Amino acid sequence: MVWTGLIIGIIFGVILQRGRICFNSAFRDVLIFKDNYLMRLAALTLALESITLLIFAQAGFIALAPKPLNWLSNIVGGYIFGLGMVLAGGCASGVTYRSGEGMTTAWLAALAYALTARATQGGLFSNWLKWVNQYSITIDSTNPVYAKKIGPTIATVLGINPWIVTIIFAALLIWYAFGVKNKSERPSKLNWIAAAVLIAILAPIAWWTSAKTGRNYGLGITGGWINLISVYTTNAKLSWEGAEIIGIIIGAAISAVAGKEFKLRMPKNPLTYIQVLVGGFLMGFGAVTAGGCNIGHFLTGVPTLAISSIVASIFFILGNWTMAWIMFGRQK
Amino acid sequence: MAKYQVTKTLDVRGEVCPVPDVETKRALQSMKPGEILEVWIDYPMSKERIPETVKKLGHEVLEIEEVGPSEWKIYIKVK
Repeated sequence: MVWTGLIIGIIFGVILQRGRICFNSAFRDVLIFKDNYLMRLAALTLALESITLLIFAQAGFIALAPKPLNWLSNIVGGYIFGLGMVLAGGCASGVTYRSGEGMTTAWLAALAYALTARATQGGLFSNWLKWVNQYSITIDSTNPVYAKKIGPTIATVLGINPWIVTIIFAALLIWYAFGVKNKSERPSKLNWIAAAVLIAILAPIAWWTSAKTGRNYGLGITGGWINLISVYTTNAKLSWEGAEIIGIIIGAAISAVAGKEFKLRMPKNPLTYIQVLVGGFLMGFGAVTAGGCNIGHFLTGVPTLAISSIVASIFFILGNWTMAWIMFGRQK
Repeated sequence: MAKYQVTKTLDVRGEVCPVPDVETKRALQSMKPGEILEVWIDYPMSKERIPETVKKLGHEVLEIEEVGPSEWKIYIKVK
């Protein structure tokens, strides 16, 4: 069943490449370029996903597993990840799919990200992770849409039916996506609405197939990279998420070649490679500390209304804005 | 033969996102009305985003010319 991760990854890679979906850009463009194209795409995706994931859970196909809440790690890790993605020139999914497009800076960023994520989970920085994880909060859930042990969500904290929160959440985001003034448009190969709908369809199927392999979670990136490093260095078994990463790179490469957009791209200034290595390092450390990256937390966790994912995502954005302002925002 | 009387050329091929966009914005600020900026890029996302930013700043995108595999030149007239 691990092969399903590969198929899901290939489809996801094509959507990311055609839709130019990078959350580093989505967060930063709003601040630096006053451009909300990708942010509106993200908002619509989260809105639709919150509904499709809950439908799948209500139908009994999946059990939602909001990540444990940890104020310290979600805030600190989230902020560090946000700083890192700007230096790396892409978020976790951004550097992964751009690796398939032939961007050499993304290769190095992804490698540093993967190695540091592995080191934080089980290597040099693992004591740090053990220490922060003692502050993680989980609760026992009785609602069948959730797994038995979960992190608190807005619905569980308020003690109300998750549908109520989900419908309000989705309505607010749809209102932002379509109602905001000064809408930015771009001639992307995959229109923002189509991209959002496709991800919202793919996300619950991803979760369902992943759960069949014993990994009860949806689309993710960090765990997949950690798995690939472990497969390579310790002969660990390839996981659904590891296969998904390989799929994203293959899917993005196929899509880029088919669209005549594949090219080995190298920056003129070699110092850029140092910059992306530092960015990847911060991303790996931040993502594992925070319990997830922009896909695990933002794209998959926020639609489950997990408080951990909402807190981490707020700090991804704040970290992103801080570094974007330092690097690009001051000299306007 | 050059298509336009280009005043300044910016080659940002291979640069990490969003350097091409930021450099374009900075170059435009130092230019006078009527002058033409040529931006040489190789990243598809920049091809879509730079024209959007340029139009917002009030300048005119004259043409996006495909010059090679995944390489384009954007000609911008400063307003």
